[in-house]
Amino acid sequence: MKKAILVLVVLAGIAAAIGWGLSAPTRMSAEEASALKEGDPAKGELVFWAGGCASCHAEKGAKGDDLLNLGGGLRLETPFGVFVAPNISSSKADGIGGWSLIDFANAMTHGTSPDGQNFYPAFPYTSYARMTPEDLGDLYAFMATVPSVEGKAASHELGFPFNIRRGLGLWKRMFLDPAPVISQPSGDGEIDAEQWERGRYLVEGPGHCGECHTPRDFAGGLVLSDWLGGAPAPTGEGRIPDITPTQGGFGSWSAADIAYYLESGFTPEYDSVGGEMVHVQENMARLPASDRNAIAAYLKAIPTVAEPAN
Amino acid sequence: MRIVRKMAVAGLVLGLGVVSIAAQASDDPIETRKAIMSSVGAAAGLGGGMMKAEIDYVPAAGKAAIATVRAASLTFGDYYPAGSDQGDTGAAAAIWENPEGFAAELAKFQAATEKAAAASGKDGPADLDAFKGAMGPVLATCKSCHETYRKKN
Repeated sequence: MKKAILVLVVLAGIAAAIGWGLSAPTRMSAEEASALKEGDPAKGELVFWAGGCASCHAEKGAKGDDLLNLGGGLRLETPFGVFVAPNISSSKADGIGGWSLIDFANAMTHGTSPDGQNFYPAFPYTSYARMTPEDLGDLYAFMATVPSVEGKAASHELGFPFNIRRGLGLWKRMFLDPAPVISQPSGDGEIDAEQWERGRYLVEGPGHCGECHTPRDFAGGLVLSDWLGGAPAPTGEGRIPDITPTQGGFGSWSAADIAYYLESGFTPEYDSVGGEMVHVQENMARLPASDRNAIAAYLKAIPTVAEPAN
Repeated sequence: MRIVRKMAVAGLVLGLGVVSIAAQASDDPIETRKAIMSSVGAAAGLGGGMMKAEIDYVPAAGKAAIATVRAASLTFGDYYPAGSDQGDTGAAAAIWENPEGFAAELAKFQAATEKAAAASGKDGPADLDAFKGAMGPVLATCKSCHETYRKKN
């Protein structure tokens, strides 16, 4: 009996050690890190808008230049608790002004902070993980140019077990994968492969569209088989729509309709954009028309989702 | 031209029919405000179609679109009585939680349509550029309100 207990204790110890090991925050490899170089802040500004950074990190309701005051504070009320967007201004004390380029890239692509903590995936690094080293370097250069905002944002308000950051290491092992979601264009239309891939990059990577338009499972991981098929709104009322080319639904929008919506905020029926999508649309309107057309081309040539998932 | 005539009629009905609509409001405010907003959508569709050069511009059509949004902006806000957040509606709870904020958005809408109506004049904006100048700022107020006061969809 004593022996059996001893075996159990040893096994539990091994399991705990494995769990601790698997939950360790990951970082870029030395090879990946060596591909990084600080880039062009002007190009980085476009990456900034494509990434929608200001939508969460600027003050609620900010417009114009105020969108560059990235002091954080926005509260995202989700089923897991309240996430509060942190200060990502250029402040060395309260923002990310003291981060190296590698620190920044590890946060963006591995969800790992400079001091080795796991970030919560309310920060959509699961999408940003697909960003190129060039875009990361350009964005890093741009982030150094935004104003310094004093003051740290409040802490997240999360209950057990979601308040244990270490556990996110396991979550990341399950759900953090920088591979493309959609491997190739679908449908029988004529496809400009380069344009479609640019659209895929913007949608699946910096644009992080899937974070709201794709349903999540009980653990908060995206259900990739229902990619962009619509989902309950993660915050507040209503439902985030299906943006796959479903017949009788979004499929009735032409590529030109999608590009026009992203530029102007008007649907083909002249309904206007609403909710959080207002920020997204206004960000997309700042991109070159070729990028909006690329997003449209991608959305027209991805698989539809059979049943509206919850 | 048929669509143009329809729009003009919609504008007139809205403009002149406010009193009679108000009398029925208590019956079904949700239905009423939806009808008003759909007239705005139709006016935006006509205006947007002309702006995109999908529909030929004529001043009378421009005037109908502007008159419709003008009338709607003055009446629409009256159909949000307490309790009408329940039912088949896209109205967000924020309308009742933050009535001052909602009123401020309505005021923006009204200010924009007032300017547009003034620019429209007796015959409607003379050409497409004039119409864009008058109608553009009105359309810009849509999402400003929908951002907060309409449920996501």
